[in-house]
Amino acid sequence: MSTKAIESLSEDTVRHIAEERDEPEWLLETRLNALSALETAELPDVIQTPGRRWTDLEALDFEALVDPLNQSDATERTAGDDEVVVAPFTEAFDEYGDTLEEHFGTVLDPEHNYLTALSVALFTTGTFVYVPEGVDVEDVKIRAEMNSRSLFSQTLVVAEESSSVTILESIESGEESEIEGDRYFSNLVEVVGGENAAVQFGSLQNLDDDTYTYSLKRGITDTYATIDWIESNFGSKLTRSDVETELNGDGSESQIVGTFFGSEDQHFDVNARVWHQAEHTTADLVTRGVLDDVARSVYEGVQDVGRDAWNTSSYQRENTLMLSDDAEADASPKLIIHNHDTEASHSATVGQVDAEDLFYLESRSIDSLTARNMLVEGFFVPVLEEIAVDEFREDVEELVVERLQ
Amino acid sequence: MSSQDHLKETDTEARFEFKKEEKSAFKSEKGLTEETIRVISEDKDEPEWMLERRLRALEQFEAMPMPTDWPEAPDLSEVDIDQIVPYIRPDIDVRGGVDDWTDLPEEIKDTFDKLGIPEAEKNALSGVGAQYESEIVYQNMQERWEEKGVVFCDMDKAVQEHEELVKEYFMTKAVPPSDNKFAALHGAIWSGGSFVYVPEDTTVEMPIQAYFRMNSEGMGQFEHTLIIAEEGSEVHYIEGCSAPKYSAFNLHSGGVEVFVGEDAHVQYSTVQNWSKNTYNLNTKRAIAEKGGRMEWISGSMGSKATMLYPSTILKGRGASDNHITIAFAGEGQDIDTGAKVYHNAPETKSTIESKSISKDGGRTNYRGLVHIADGASDSSTAVECDALMFDNESTSDTMPYMEINESKVDVAHEATVGKIGDEDIFYLQSRGLDDDDAKQMIVSGFIEPITEELPIEYAVELNRLVELEMEGSLG
Repeated sequence: MSTKAIESLSEDTVRHIAEERDEPEWLLETRLNALSALETAELPDVIQTPGRRWTDLEALDFEALVDPLNQSDATERTAGDDEVVVAPFTEAFDEYGDTLEEHFGTVLDPEHNYLTALSVALFTTGTFVYVPEGVDVEDVKIRAEMNSRSLFSQTLVVAEESSSVTILESIESGEESEIEGDRYFSNLVEVVGGENAAVQFGSLQNLDDDTYTYSLKRGITDTYATIDWIESNFGSKLTRSDVETELNGDGSESQIVGTFFGSEDQHFDVNARVWHQAEHTTADLVTRGVLDDVARSVYEGVQDVGRDAWNTSSYQRENTLMLSDDAEADASPKLIIHNHDTEASHSATVGQVDAEDLFYLESRSIDSLTARNMLVEGFFVPVLEEIAVDEFREDVEELVVERLQ
Repeated sequence: MSSQDHLKETDTEARFEFKKEEKSAFKSEKGLTEETIRVISEDKDEPEWMLERRLRALEQFEAMPMPTDWPEAPDLSEVDIDQIVPYIRPDIDVRGGVDDWTDLPEEIKDTFDKLGIPEAEKNALSGVGAQYESEIVYQNMQERWEEKGVVFCDMDKAVQEHEELVKEYFMTKAVPPSDNKFAALHGAIWSGGSFVYVPEDTTVEMPIQAYFRMNSEGMGQFEHTLIIAEEGSEVHYIEGCSAPKYSAFNLHSGGVEVFVGEDAHVQYSTVQNWSKNTYNLNTKRAIAEKGGRMEWISGSMGSKATMLYPSTILKGRGASDNHITIAFAGEGQDIDTGAKVYHNAPETKSTIESKSISKDGGRTNYRGLVHIADGASDSSTAVECDALMFDNESTSDTMPYMEINESKVDVAHEATVGKIGDEDIFYLQSRGLDDDDAKQMIVSGFIEPITEELPIEYAVELNRLVELEMEGSLG
């Protein structure tokens, strides 16, 4: 499989982006390397079973979707605390250039696949979050609107030793956007979890239904670090989302909470992966999704326990609720275990709203639609409970209610 | 009935005859050519249509790539069809069996010794192949089968004597050669195997058994089993497999097709103990009509690499499937096994229970697919996988795939992986058991849900095989 080259892309395009942003040389080089990697890079792996490809990324027409020089976004960043840096890269180069250079691309190889390479070569927005040693900060908020044919975003979070931070990142389509037809949003997030640091990174995607979304978020933990993810997807025509943690430090932890709500012909391909590569590490993967109309979901969860990952605990649950007869749900929760000193489990279910629960509520004179909606809202509670940022939780609740109208 | 007649009634006779004929009749080259297939077909005096099917399958085999794109698939790079002797056995100096038995590698011989099979039976088993396995059951049941119209014969004989049935069902509906590369290979050079036909409303009370054994170095075994269970009938088919170990690899690529008629019930049990140079790449599939019930019970103990995913297509309303699998991978073994179920009708039900044990660098993988088609409402499936690991050289993978196109369903998958609990061992030790016995007892308990589904003799054999494997590791 070789991916089509995008004709409108050239070194000049990339240089132009870098110059406009007044970027240091190392980043331009990284971008150019990513650009040339496009020639050989492959699209992300998609599950295939006999006669069935779970998500068709090859059908995406990147030539039409990618418009690198007209990217436009409106992004609001709230730090909530003076001690933490929450800024676009362009404002961070002067003071934090060395930190950026040190960590950029170390968690997530820009040449990981075709879409990451494309994203690194072309990104024009994103955020650098730097939490110095020992600093605790809550409620970092990054709210972005997409106002162009295509938008590439790159975020780097560096949490130094014994720091802690909760972050909400949201993306939606700008209201004034006059772009007709299909759009493409790409979002790469790297999280560096220093020793004993704690990061919760929440993400809310609610783009309009002409948009195709690719998102890859990855974190690496140092000793005793915790990286928790909350990945919620409501919008887009097609979403491919990967959330991954490498547990590289002894005693480190990660929780990956995912949620999606698909209606009409939305397609969600959500993936949660964790690699246990040190001793005494813990992971918990929880995904809950609802499908209505002819929506379709694809889920892959991977718990990979390495040879040296002694005393590992690893859990995974995935539950899909089907509200419509025409929805489709594919799921593949995988365990790859190389060390016996492991306690690992996973489970996945697909089903409808429980008939008995429905009957009970109806017997309390609640009409059937309201009863169903209450049960769906309740279905999301285990996920909502994990969200540390109040505003984020309220947003998710609101979106669920909105979808149930 | 003479023992020669018994031999003729079973697939194993055919292979035994090959041994005799080998020197005089055939000097087949290694590898697979159209010429080889024509020779095989001619030797079997097959009808023209079967030869055509073989040749078509050969074309498909050549056109298909090796299945290298599966995630974490076993390494099949050593499997070179041109190195396989597909039909003719090389040098057999066994005459009467005894030599053959002593020729066996210590590993297998030791296995049989420890299985507690008396010396006389041991000789019979190795010398006459599966005759021992067939004879006991066969003798007892022969009369009854015939009276009821039940057919149990070797597949080659079925091509001659039940041509219409074979022509209709043989690799046309359940396992077409185009299904996968090894199904195509099988379709081209299949030989031997069993044909079972159970007429309407007939219950075969005692299990039918077949024992498959490979004796020659570098050979490939490609037996085909076709079971047709008519409406309301019931049958339990058991196969056992083993082979002596050689330095060159052996290939076993069997094909199994089961047709479960309306309200019929078929149970297919396998205890596989191929030697650890054998690649075991089978395609097994059942189609269950309305109200039909299919059960697959598989114990995979042997082989170097196994890729086996017995499949059931639940075609008729209310059909059901039950998979029970146990895999045990020791040093150098890669047991990649699982199940496939297609729910293509309403009110269909499947349960899959998988247990695996890996130790000393062995790898087990549960790889399974459950597909619920649109319209298969009120269907349910429950998949449960449990894995036990002994060390950090071994690998235990679980890769289930669920495709749900229908909302009125109940789908559940669960899996756990763990080590033997220190507390459990401590408890047993406090009761006076030593460490090894304690571990063995825990493993026996772990697989009990499966052994209790097997007829007693197979359960005992399975347990003994597990004990043997455990002894090797713990001793």
